Amino acid sequence: MAGKIILQSNDNASIEIDRDVAERSLLIKNMLEDLGDIDEPIPIANVNEAVLRKVVEWCEHHRADPPASENDDTDARKRSTDIDEWDQKFMQVDQEMLFEIILAANYLDIKPLLDVGCKTVANMIKGKSPEEIRKTFNIQNDFTPEEEEQIRRENEWAEDR
Amino acid sequence: MDVPNKDDLEQTWNYLEQGIEKIMRDLNSGMDIRTYMGVYTAVHNFCTSARAVSTSTQQLHQTAGVHRGAAHLLGEDLYKNLIEYLNSHLEGLKQESSKHVDEALLSYYIREWNRYTTAAKYINHLFKYLNRHWVKREMDEGKKNIYDVYTLHLVQWGSQFFTAVQKHVMDSVLKQVEKQRNGETIETAMVKSIVDSFVSLGLDENDSSKSTLEVYRKYFETPFLEATTLYYQLESKQFVAENSVVEYMKKAETRLAEEAHRVEVYLHPDINGPLMKACEKVLIQEHAGLLKDEFQQLLDEDRQEDLKRMYNLLSRIPGGLDPLRTRFEVHVRRAGISAVDKIAAEGGEKDLDPKVYVDALLEVHTQYQNLVNMAFKGEAEFVRSLDNACREFVNRNQVCKSASTRSPELLAKYADSLLRKSAKSAEEAELEGKLTAIMTVFKYVEDKDVFQKFYSKMLAKRLVNFTSASDDAETSMIGKLKEACGYEYTNKLQRMFQDMQISKDLNDNYKQWLSEKSIKTSVDFSCQVLGTSFWPLNPPNTAFNAPEVINNAISTFVDFYNDKHSGRKLSWLWHLSKGDLKANYCRGAKVPYTFQVSTFQMGVLLLFNDQTSISYESIESSVGLGRDYLDAALGAFVKQRVLLVEPAGSKPGPGTTYSLNFDFKSKKIRVNLNTVVRAEQKQEVEETHKTIEEDRKLLMQSAIVRIMKARKVLKHVVLVQETIAQIKSRFTPKIPDIKKTIDILLEKEYLERLDGERLGYLA
Repeated sequence: MAGKIILQSNDNASIEIDRDVAERSLLIKNMLEDLGDIDEPIPIANVNEAVLRKVVEWCEHHRADPPASENDDTDARKRSTDIDEWDQKFMQVDQEMLFEIILAANYLDIKPLLDVGCKTVANMIKGKSPEEIRKTFNIQNDFTPEEEEQIRRENEWAEDR
Repeated sequence: MDVPNKDDLEQTWNYLEQGIEKIMRDLNSGMDIRTYMGVYTAVHNFCTSARAVSTSTQQLHQTAGVHRGAAHLLGEDLYKNLIEYLNSHLEGLKQESSKHVDEALLSYYIREWNRYTTAAKYINHLFKYLNRHWVKREMDEGKKNIYDVYTLHLVQWGSQFFTAVQKHVMDSVLKQVEKQRNGETIETAMVKSIVDSFVSLGLDENDSSKSTLEVYRKYFETPFLEATTLYYQLESKQFVAENSVVEYMKKAETRLAEEAHRVEVYLHPDINGPLMKACEKVLIQEHAGLLKDEFQQLLDEDRQEDLKRMYNLLSRIPGGLDPLRTRFEVHVRRAGISAVDKIAAEGGEKDLDPKVYVDALLEVHTQYQNLVNMAFKGEAEFVRSLDNACREFVNRNQVCKSASTRSPELLAKYADSLLRKSAKSAEEAELEGKLTAIMTVFKYVEDKDVFQKFYSKMLAKRLVNFTSASDDAETSMIGKLKEACGYEYTNKLQRMFQDMQISKDLNDNYKQWLSEKSIKTSVDFSCQVLGTSFWPLNPPNTAFNAPEVINNAISTFVDFYNDKHSGRKLSWLWHLSKGDLKANYCRGAKVPYTFQVSTFQMGVLLLFNDQTSISYESIESSVGLGRDYLDAALGAFVKQRVLLVEPAGSKPGPGTTYSLNFDFKSKKIRVNLNTVVRAEQKQEVEETHKTIEEDRKLLMQSAIVRIMKARKVLKHVVLVQETIAQIKSRFTPKIPDIKKTIDILLEKEYLERLDGERLGYLA
């Protein structure tokens, strides 16, 4: 298990990491299982160097976490927006990087990282009005006033009163 | 080849198909990372493509209309294309499989199965993104017939390939197994792989992550069991026709072991139960009658190994052992009865040696108990049959023909012979073993009260005469009886022991008292004070004028005794007492002889201190004894030439005269003149039997009164039943006797007759 793995980003940067760190990604874990030991670099087609380094950093820190089982979708984990301190600091990046990390986690199949990313976004939304949210994420309002009224009516039950 | 345009389905699929085809057909030549990552990425990119979102969403708008505006997950097209690909692959396999039969078909099936499932695992990983998103969403929404990619492979294998070939495959499997049953060697690993494959195909409709054995049971287990049944039906029928039953049992045993082994080596453990049941049915159940018919012969010839074999086989089928138990019981009973017949014929019924009788009973019991343990695993039901049989032959046999009380009487006598001091006293350990053996027989004795009577009589005698061989053995025996029958049964026996101990202390105290008071007595006197109600002893049935020396000694003792306890009445059991006399008159003796005599004899002999020749009538009037006792005492003296009778050679009686023989000679210094007459013993036995009858009447009366006191009103029939239940542990009462007892109680007005066959209790 002590072997080294080389990851290659889509901008051709090679990052050497320990195998157990790489295996935080289920994609890589499954691949190593299927193909056996490999010595050539693994091409990570959808991720650039900066993002990949960030992801690797996270994997390094969480290398010893107990492997989350497939059926770990407990309500508690889903509902909570709590993020541990290290992860909060880790996620203090610009918005573009944040979304890149989320996409990379999704692609590489690193569920805990994906969760942390999504929770971070959720916390950014929490307590904001639609207008504020639009501003935060730079979203254009493309609803007509009629459409907006209809949506409000349909979702009345969810309003915070 | 580069990763395809994520928006183009056709291009994407072409790219994926090449990768899949490589995995399916040519995995052995290895797969490079680029292709692996490429396929994964293509699936990922396609599913996340923005263009696909819009088109797919539009389609769904039309069909479902609920996904309005919400992000929909893509992948249905890939899923459908994958199914198509698998179907065409499996169609190819189906075509190919028809070229193979038997062993070749099996190896073809296994080869393709292994290749297919390995590929499925790869493809499942490569399509992980589809599983994680599109498949998951479909399943969460409750769509039927959507599976994760791996399961999809199995489902397609099952529906597209398996259904078409399973019958041929199974036929080949059965052929292989039959070959093995016929003694050929086969590739068992192959069958095991087939089993595993069948098991893998069982999918739980509700939860595809779980598997069921349904497919396996239907397509493997059922035909397998049918073939097995058929095979053994034919084989066993033929074998039985050509071989002995014992040979057949060996064969069946071997076959059953083989099948059990087969399950271990290459079948699914789930088949164990049904397979054994099927084999047991054809190999044992269908030949059970034959086996049972052989049982008697095996018993007669005492073939333990074969009996064990038969037990093991028949114990495997429900109710298989019942007829064996019945026959076994009858057999043991007959063996017991004929053993007793034999000794009764040899020894004569009247003078039967208790040891011979008990040994004969024990021998039969031991033999069959060993058989039960050896061949029948000491099984409780067989033990019960053995017990039933023993109870029958212990209580009802040739010796007990006249009265069932003979068994307990002889058993008690045997116990007495063991516990009494004798020249050939048994070793401690050996004695204990024999006492335990007595208890074995005792357990079966129905008239336990009879045993108790005889035992206590003989115990009393052993204690009074100091002829008990060992206190430990006596205690041990009483302990065993207490364990078997309870406190009440042995209470009196224990009290007898206590009295003996108390008497010993009493005599010591008496001696001390004498020395304290400086009283000198002319005779060395000791006595046992025994509680009347515990000891089965009767007062003497003759008058007796005790010699003066004795009377003096007694009155001193009575003084002492009344000092200690007031209000107790002592009666003297002369007929059980004895003493030593020193004969200083014999001319030829250097050392004076000591005569051991009964108290009665003492009374006679002491008369000769005053006169050397006395007439019969004179002796009779002085001693006051009944003639039976007097004649016996004189007879012993004359026989041993202590006294000389006149006229010479005549029997004791009126008209005879006795004179002291000064020339008495004996080899021993101590001469025992106290010889008991046999007639006395005979009489005692009869008396004992008479007291038993009396006791039984009382026992029945008290039982009935006890029951009625508790129940107040009871039907006649019920009362009889309850009485039997209460008394059974002591003896088996006869119903007419109980009825008679009830009549007596009615007469005595303990009970009254009510209407409707009912009886009432009168306080």
